[in-house]
Amino acid sequence: MSGASASALAAIAVRIERSSGNLEPLLHQIRHALLRLLEEQVGSCIDLRSLPLAPGEQEQLLAALGTGEIRAELRASGSSDILETAFPGVWVVTHRDVHGEVQARFIEVTFSPEILCSPRQDVAAGLLRLTARLSERKELA
Amino acid sequence: MIPQADARSIPTDAPLLDALAVRGVSRRGFVKFCATITSMLALSPELIPQVAQALQSARRPSVIWLPFQECTGCTESITRADAETIEQLIFEAISLDYQHTLQAAAGTAAEQARQDAMRANWGQYLLVVDGSVPLGGAGFCTIAGRSAADILVEAARGARAIICVGTCAAFGGIPAANPNPTQAVPVSQIVRDKPIVNISGCPPIPNVITAVLVQLLTFGELPQLDHLGRPKVFYGESIHDRCYRRPFYERGQFAESFDDEGARQGWCLYKLGCKGPVTYNACATVKWNGGTSFPIGAGHGCIGCAEPGFWDRGGFYDALSVTHTDNLEEIALAAGAGVAVGAAAALLARKKQHAAARAGDDGAKGELP
Amino acid sequence: MTLLDFARGPGFFWAFTILIVGIVWRLSGLVFFRWRRELATPREPGLVAPVSGGLRTVIMRSVPPHELEKNITFQHFTGYAWHIGWFVTFLFLGAHQPLIRSILHFGWPNLPNGVVLVITAMTLGILLTLYVRRLLHPVLRLITDMDDHVSVLLTIAPLVTGVAAFAHWSLFGLRYETVLAIHLLSVEALMIWLPFGKIFHFVTGLITRFRLGAEMMRRGVRA
Repeated sequence: MSGASASALAAIAVRIERSSGNLEPLLHQIRHALLRLLEEQVGSCIDLRSLPLAPGEQEQLLAALGTGEIRAELRASGSSDILETAFPGVWVVTHRDVHGEVQARFIEVTFSPEILCSPRQDVAAGLLRLTARLSERKELA
Repeated sequence: MIPQADARSIPTDAPLLDALAVRGVSRRGFVKFCATITSMLALSPELIPQVAQALQSARRPSVIWLPFQECTGCTESITRADAETIEQLIFEAISLDYQHTLQAAAGTAAEQARQDAMRANWGQYLLVVDGSVPLGGAGFCTIAGRSAADILVEAARGARAIICVGTCAAFGGIPAANPNPTQAVPVSQIVRDKPIVNISGCPPIPNVITAVLVQLLTFGELPQLDHLGRPKVFYGESIHDRCYRRPFYERGQFAESFDDEGARQGWCLYKLGCKGPVTYNACATVKWNGGTSFPIGAGHGCIGCAEPGFWDRGGFYDALSVTHTDNLEEIALAAGAGVAVGAAAALLARKKQHAAARAGDDGAKGELP
Repeated sequence: MTLLDFARGPGFFWAFTILIVGIVWRLSGLVFFRWRRELATPREPGLVAPVSGGLRTVIMRSVPPHELEKNITFQHFTGYAWHIGWFVTFLFLGAHQPLIRSILHFGWPNLPNGVVLVITAMTLGILLTLYVRRLLHPVLRLITDMDDHVSVLLTIAPLVTGVAAFAHWSLFGLRYETVLAIHLLSVEALMIWLPFGKIFHFVTGLITRFRLGAEMMRRGVRA
């Protein structure tokens, strides 16, 4: 359904010629956030849904930020992309649901997005599982 | 849908995160959901950790869901059989105490479960209502031998807050359409001493229902409401104000029929009856089916289903500028009445003219016909 | 029932009914009225003379008489301008087409919104200028009565409220639905007033002029 819907909506020839004027200020905001990250080690997060961007401007923003060295995919309740842009420290995090529809998109200015780190409880649970697996192997051997 | 067996395996006082873990939702999946819902609630991303913190340790609140004169569309909207989203999981994780469509129990066992849950959580449970309440007689909507109105009044007494899901519970809905044979009324007309949140829509957007529940769980308070009791964050703007076809409205480019060139070009649907300018909902931004589309995006005008009285406002395909009076007979009668009154007035005037002529007042003797 | 529901429902129904009753009443009254019988012999027998006389008067009185040009040309032509602008706004705005079509069961293409908006703005400007002039000019002020005030204000109100509704301006903090309802109600007020005030010239104007011309031509006067 998602594939069909994306093409159907995009197939309607809706041409809107106007700009919100928010693109430039947004890039400046990201620049300030990077400065703050370097000087105070404090990260920032910008919710793209909350910004009034004209159609096409979000694509312009992402094109301006470009792509960097890291591209990570999170597979939990649908897939999410965590991309580092051409500006290290500036990440684009896109959350999609099980149907592949974008649910949220953030620009995180941080050394490493929190979601990439393994939660402590999960690590502890994993340790237990691995210990159990090793015991099984020992018994079989 | 949660089979009742799975639900019973989740301890009733288990934190929400554990309940979700049993259903295969990882911590990262949970954090992802918190980020999404924070964005939907138009909260700052800085609050994501707070939302996650509050939700992960939230105890499953008792939720009683009372269905009255409804079509089950609202329940269907939030629960899908094919694929599960976290919204559904969260919803199911918190609303297991009483829900006709989803629960496996039936009959006296179900009613007993409801009474037990109410007693155990008196003053703390959330009451979710869908469907309107008939006042025309108990026979119109009776559950376990008791009228809908009775059940509602009793359940409302111990509720912390009431969430009216769907336009029927919020404003009366289709059952209240002229001539309203069951005398259907919204919940707010019966319960006046409890906080009520109206999540209107026919049906409402499922994410909106979940977001309100999340807001309650996270912040322990109801969201800011508009003058109709609807969360402002979702019902604060009209469809028209966020519609992607707005530029066509401004330019006066309208589709004249559903299959003309204008429709194919995606022009404004005002002339085809779109009620977007007077309807407040999140359809144009949040959209339906997980953000797939909404009626206008599919080429059909908004019918205003989140507004009170949308069912009795003339045809769905009559533009806002069209009045819903089309009674040629009455207009003909009016014309007839006009002729009668005019003739009577003329007769009176003729009498006066006659009298004046006789008295010579009009200065023209001998002009009597 | 919300204000908009009232304006779109019973409000319009009763306004339209009163409009029809009023127009037919006054026209019937005029038709059944006792007209003065013409005793003089017509200069030219037949119908051609009166008809041509009537048409001539309609045309001749559509422009200012030569003798009075200096005094009334401004009023005369600005009057034309705002009348035409008012009807263009009513008949050619896209949003009005569904209403017209629902009453007449046929319609016509609309003009682009930008064009209509400019015409409406000009019409409003002219109307307001002429009204202010009417209030300040000593002679005009003398001959202006309540009928004039009501008629002018009810002519201006639909334009002002219509622009506010079209542009989604929130008049005094009111929501769009209320502004739209007020626009509809202002039109309904005009419909109710129309048969009973000076605006009835909308119905009788040309007929009266024609009849006067025919009558004069009967007596050999080219009016």
